[in-house]
Amino acid sequence: MIELININKSYQLGEVNLQILCDINLKVNHGEFVAIMGPSGSGKTTLLNVIGCLDNIDSGRYTLAGEIVDQASDDDLARIRNAHIGFVFQLFNLIPRIPAWRNVELPMIYRGIHPNTRYQQAMSALKRVEIDDRSTHTPSQLSGGQQQRVAIARALINNPELLVADEPTGSLDSSTGQEIMQLFQELNSSGTTIIMVTHEEDIAKHASRIIRLKDGIIESDEGTNIKC
Amino acid sequence: MLVYIVDRFRQALYALRDNLRRTLLSILGIAVGIAAVMAVGTISKGGNYLIFSELETFGLNSVWIFRDRDDKDPNRIVREGSGIDNDVYHALRSDCCPAVRQLSAMVMSSRTKRTVVQVNNRFSNARVQGVDYMLTSIANDSIIEGRPFRARDVSVRRAVAILGPQPAEDLFGSASPIGREFRINSQKFTVVGVLKKKSRDFLASIGSAGGQDANNRILIPYSTYQKMLGHKQINFLQAEAITQKKAAEAASQLIAVLNRHNGRNYTYKSDTMASYISTTQRILDGVAMIGIIAASVSLLVGGLGIMNIMSTSVLERTREIGLRKAVGARQNDILLQFLLEAVVISTAGGIIGLTLGSIASIVLAEFTGFPLTPSFFVILIALFVSISVGIISGYLPAKKAAKLRPVEALRYE
Repeated sequence: MIELININKSYQLGEVNLQILCDINLKVNHGEFVAIMGPSGSGKTTLLNVIGCLDNIDSGRYTLAGEIVDQASDDDLARIRNAHIGFVFQLFNLIPRIPAWRNVELPMIYRGIHPNTRYQQAMSALKRVEIDDRSTHTPSQLSGGQQQRVAIARALINNPELLVADEPTGSLDSSTGQEIMQLFQELNSSGTTIIMVTHEEDIAKHASRIIRLKDGIIESDEGTNIKC
Repeated sequence: MLVYIVDRFRQALYALRDNLRRTLLSILGIAVGIAAVMAVGTISKGGNYLIFSELETFGLNSVWIFRDRDDKDPNRIVREGSGIDNDVYHALRSDCCPAVRQLSAMVMSSRTKRTVVQVNNRFSNARVQGVDYMLTSIANDSIIEGRPFRARDVSVRRAVAILGPQPAEDLFGSASPIGREFRINSQKFTVVGVLKKKSRDFLASIGSAGGQDANNRILIPYSTYQKMLGHKQINFLQAEAITQKKAAEAASQLIAVLNRHNGRNYTYKSDTMASYISTTQRILDGVAMIGIIAASVSLLVGGLGIMNIMSTSVLERTREIGLRKAVGARQNDILLQFLLEAVVISTAGGIIGLTLGSIASIVLAEFTGFPLTPSFFVILIALFVSISVGIISGYLPAKKAAKLRPVEALRYE
């Protein structure tokens, strides 16, 4: 499903060239639940952004669901993200002051789904994450866990093969975090591939495979074959 | 298709509602600009109407022919007199000028001679003009009471007069002057008609009312006046061309005949209403242009206001833009979103501006009596301009938003 070959990524910080990812080789199969761990500055978020087609790479080859991503244009990337990837962020990234279901609707707008069918679909996605009773609430009227559920509903709305999550529990208390992980595992068992960045061992243990990064290099990769 | 366009508009409206006060202020900025442009437009149109309705009362096709007294040709013996007498006038009347519809002699006393107009110790300082019977038709004069002159009044030199509204009031007060008698110097005249009042407010205000007040004159047959003055001179000719475009042609045809008769002794000049109109038109266009430029500045300020709030909005919503791009918005989606927001603001401003401008026009019309109704054309232009202002001032911020890289936009604090 995902194949990264010799991926390099660096940032220019003033006169210093900061190498973030060094020759990353990674293969993730359909249905895996991967946690990416590592100390801050290890490049885990950058790797996730590359996998999520949010950031470009300097060199290497990236294939996602059969599409070559590293050569794609801005608009092609947008289409790939829309069709294949759902995003969950640490800070939820819901648009304030519009109701929950309108937030869930967003990916459908850019997919060109007819306005009349969107409400139904948004509601069923909200139902799937058990937050449909809050569909008309705006983000500020929801708790952190509820906001993350809305964000997950949004991530799922276009039925993506891949869910990319950056510290999905980072802004939640531990019991709410566990609930979200419960939800992730349910999604994973129904076939969604999940790649998640976290720095909490408690959270990472929900994954079937843990990749540890250090200084832009994969230090360890445990449980690779569990789901193969 | 339509449903998707409505959809995009709804997205824009959500965003604008979120920042209602800022949105309303920028709408107001555009509204003031559009209202100003429109007010200037309608006022200058009203001014045009006013001036042209005054010019019209001279007869839009009028042509004046008179002797050129500044002729410096040394071969020409400078002579006394106007260069036009009854003989040449009759010649012009009988055989002349396909571009001329009607022609009237104009006879006046010299300004140095005092003319006393009075009845029963009531006096009038009106100017006495000797005219042919068709002058009232040439000069677009209407008779509100009594009758115009007839050919016979002129041919038998009747002592009859048509009064302007001013002498009618000065001599006879509010009573009807028809059939009453008065004196011009020692000659008794009978009033047969009264002229309708002409508006000269504007022309008088710029010090040009055709050299005289059209409301303060007394018309008598030119033949009668010549007999009183003891000569057969005609001061100038007033003609009506068949169309406004043919005015210059009519003038040159008349002058050609005059030259054939008297060309060795005199030269002739002409004035046409058509040339006055085109001069006036040029001046009015210039004034209107200055007004439009001034009003456009306020519209420009409104546009800068939109640009400012769109820039602020792009900055404030950087994370939202990043999120939208992450979930699949292409550059054009974001561009369109922000452009639509700008266009909604400017169009709303345009519509409110039109309403304000129309109300202002109607109020002004009520006070001034000008017909200041805004035209459909003005409305169309105002809407076009306001939408353009929205697009132009929204484009740069929208382009900036569209080009944001999702990973950076999402990281923005």
